[in-house]
Amino acid sequence: MTGPLIPLGYIPEAWNNVFAVLLGMGFGFTLESSGFSSSRKIMGTFYGYDFVVLKVFFTAAITAVVGLLYLDQIGWADFSAMYVLPTYMAAAITGGVIMGMGFAMGGYCPGTSFCAVAIGKIDALLFSAGLLVGIFIFSEAFPLMEKIYESGNLGALRVNEALGISAGLFTFLLILIALGMFWVATIVQGKVKKVEY
Amino acid sequence: MNKRYLILSALLILAGIGLVILPQKSKNKELTPEELLMAIKDPSRFVSTDLITDRIIKKDPSLVIVDVRPAKEFKIFSLPGSVNIPMDSLLSGASMAILKPEGKDKVFCSDDDILADQAWQIFKRLNISNIFIMKTGVNGWINTIMKDNPPLPTEDSRAYDLYSFRKAARQYFQGKDATSSSNRQQNDNKDNPAVPKKEKLNLQKSTNTKPAGGGC
Repeated sequence: MTGPLIPLGYIPEAWNNVFAVLLGMGFGFTLESSGFSSSRKIMGTFYGYDFVVLKVFFTAAITAVVGLLYLDQIGWADFSAMYVLPTYMAAAITGGVIMGMGFAMGGYCPGTSFCAVAIGKIDALLFSAGLLVGIFIFSEAFPLMEKIYESGNLGALRVNEALGISAGLFTFLLILIALGMFWVATIVQGKVKKVEY
Repeated sequence: MNKRYLILSALLILAGIGLVILPQKSKNKELTPEELLMAIKDPSRFVSTDLITDRIIKKDPSLVIVDVRPAKEFKIFSLPGSVNIPMDSLLSGASMAILKPEGKDKVFCSDDDILADQAWQIFKRLNISNIFIMKTGVNGWINTIMKDNPPLPTEDSRAYDLYSFRKAARQYFQGKDATSSSNRQQNDNKDNPAVPKKEKLNLQKSTNTKPAGGGC
């Protein structure tokens, strides 16, 4: 956990792995119960017959950000002290394209593929094997890719800071965008031929 | 459209509007240059070695002595009960955990008071309260407390009171041999009774500095 309970010593560090397992189980359970262990469901977003992936992840994002900002307002969390991963622009775009291609071809993202392995899907087994091969190749070829990996570093960037607006206003706009997308997605879903799976 | 979705959407929009309306909390907890200057001009940030000695002897639980010298020097000699936070790890998570508690008086010390003052200014700027500097530092502490400096016969009774206090303190730190004086060179000797017993530091540095991985 990134904090504050373990780094400040409220909970001994030995609990780190226990929390990791519990959180992982919760995450896996949620993915499975949302139907994300089916590659057909995930690919629905790509072909336009099922937008549940888009809805779930955007709902998660806006719920989390609204919750965090309110906790920050009442002083239970310090939004400014939150760790933000640095943005590597070129690396993010390259990685995003590769990940997206893998996503579209395999029908899984790494997390959901393991969920699907857990319920015994053969395609997920192959996907996970490919994932491990990919990790191996990446690790071995890292010196070749190091330049791309570290290119376009913009530091710990927050979108609202880059746009020059407050976090609250950005969140509000994000909520509007998300709801608008849900609405459009529902309309598209109604027009596209239903796929039974 | 499902009524439930409409209600949830309305709730989210309301929450979003609330975030826009609510005043933004000031994230800048640092002192302004003016405030910092005021604080630096205030001599009350310095405390004497005698006062610290008195509080060490009384085992004052609200006293935290933060030694900002390098770990090597700290190993050779340190004040009893002091915690070593070298300058290069001042802003680490572990040191912030030591310095943040508000009910404690954090006293910085170094060889003299220059490094300690620098550390003090950093933390003052971060708006950490109850921080002080031990005037004249560890060297001053040895010179005033551990060395025998009898007052002149012409000095007033306060000087004699202070002298007897320092003598008693020396006795406390050295055990029975109160009359021997000590200095830094002697303190390098491991078996020297003048070296106060160092308390074992329980500075736990988190080894896990990596953020939790995200993704789906």
